[in-house]
Amino acid sequence: MLKPKLISQVLQQATTGGVKATILLNLEGSLLAFAAQSDRDARIYGALTSNIWSIYSKHVKTETGPLSFLMLECEEGKVAVSMVSTMILCLVAQEDVELGILKAKSEALTRHLEAPLSRVTGY
Amino acid sequence: MKKILLMGKSGSGKTSMRSIIFSNYIARDTRRLGATIDVEHSHVRLLGNLRLNLWDCGGQETFMENYFVSQRDHIFKNVEVLIYVFDVESRDIEKDMHYYQSCLEAIMTNSKDAKIFCLIHKMDLVQEDQRDRIYNERVLELQTRSLPLQVTTFRTSIWDETLYKAWSSIVYSLIPNVQLLESHLDNFCKICEADEIVLFERMTFLVIAHSTRIDNGDVHRFEKISNIIKQFKLSCSRTQGSFQSMEVRHANFAGFIDYLTNNTYVMVIMSDPTIQSAATQMNIAVARKHFEKLEGAQFAK
Repeated sequence: MLKPKLISQVLQQATTGGVKATILLNLEGSLLAFAAQSDRDARIYGALTSNIWSIYSKHVKTETGPLSFLMLECEEGKVAVSMVSTMILCLVAQEDVELGILKAKSEALTRHLEAPLSRVTGY
Repeated sequence: MKKILLMGKSGSGKTSMRSIIFSNYIARDTRRLGATIDVEHSHVRLLGNLRLNLWDCGGQETFMENYFVSQRDHIFKNVEVLIYVFDVESRDIEKDMHYYQSCLEAIMTNSKDAKIFCLIHKMDLVQEDQRDRIYNERVLELQTRSLPLQVTTFRTSIWDETLYKAWSSIVYSLIPNVQLLESHLDNFCKICEADEIVLFERMTFLVIAHSTRIDNGDVHRFEKISNIIKQFKLSCSRTQGSFQSMEVRHANFAGFIDYLTNNTYVMVIMSDPTIQSAATQMNIAVARKHFEKLEGAQFAK
């Protein structure tokens, strides 16, 4: 089972150094846990991310296997999206954060969460 | 198969309460019920493996005499639970007591391990400020008259949640291994950081078990919810829909009611607004598998 508060704490730890929001979503786009300025921000980021993820994964699937990572460079920030177990992890950062460090953070979090979260969904 | 005797004077409300709890009647529909002739048997299946054989014994004097004389063995053998219903408005208390004591005698000789519940029924007819006093008087009298047997008493009315409270306690006393169920529920409650989790029987919506981490002031809340949800389920079925689940959320709390196993519903109450609905729903889904296994194991025994 998920311990919601504990997950929020882990996500909070990644929300430093220019990262504005760290969000864990299910594939339908509902928030499971997040660390962000406000509920509203998190919900908006979550909705956009899950939408983008589902569109991309539809197109990618056939040739190269399932989508595993997305990096988006936007006008007002950068976004890294990845898959953890059957959930989506999304990091939103300010524009001055480099893509490399964002990717590293995302990977570190994924590594940390992968095993425990797959136990929840695999049960 | 557990045999449950439902007895009491004619018109005390035995069939009405049985219809509300087990046959989805609403309180006002019970006016249509006629007097019970002799004994009506009904089979109820709770929690899949708990089969109850409910003997609703008509309370008219001729039948009563019959039960104690010619049918004595037949009626009073192998009884697991005796539920005796008293009409609080009854004019002839002495006579009620006389029948009750004959009943206890028959129980003592034929099924001495039976659990005994007394319901002081139709409490809604008593003025509100008198209820406590009258109820306490009756309980005291019943306890002295029942010696050496121990009885559990409840005040009930079909118009409020007290009926559910009484029947929940009766069903609770019948479930084998209820402590195991409770300990798993406690765990579930702790892990998903809920205030409270309540387990309901699916058909009757009687409370089976609950786990509370943060207490709520209202002691009647479970029965109120049983009552409300059951009415809601009935309205759903009138529109050809079937009740699946519901989520209620406002600034201070979120409540989820969802099916858990084939025989149970669960209600999860969260007061922490930072915990997301999807996380709780996921936890319920995970718990579902766990509790299905648990129930399967119990069933196998």
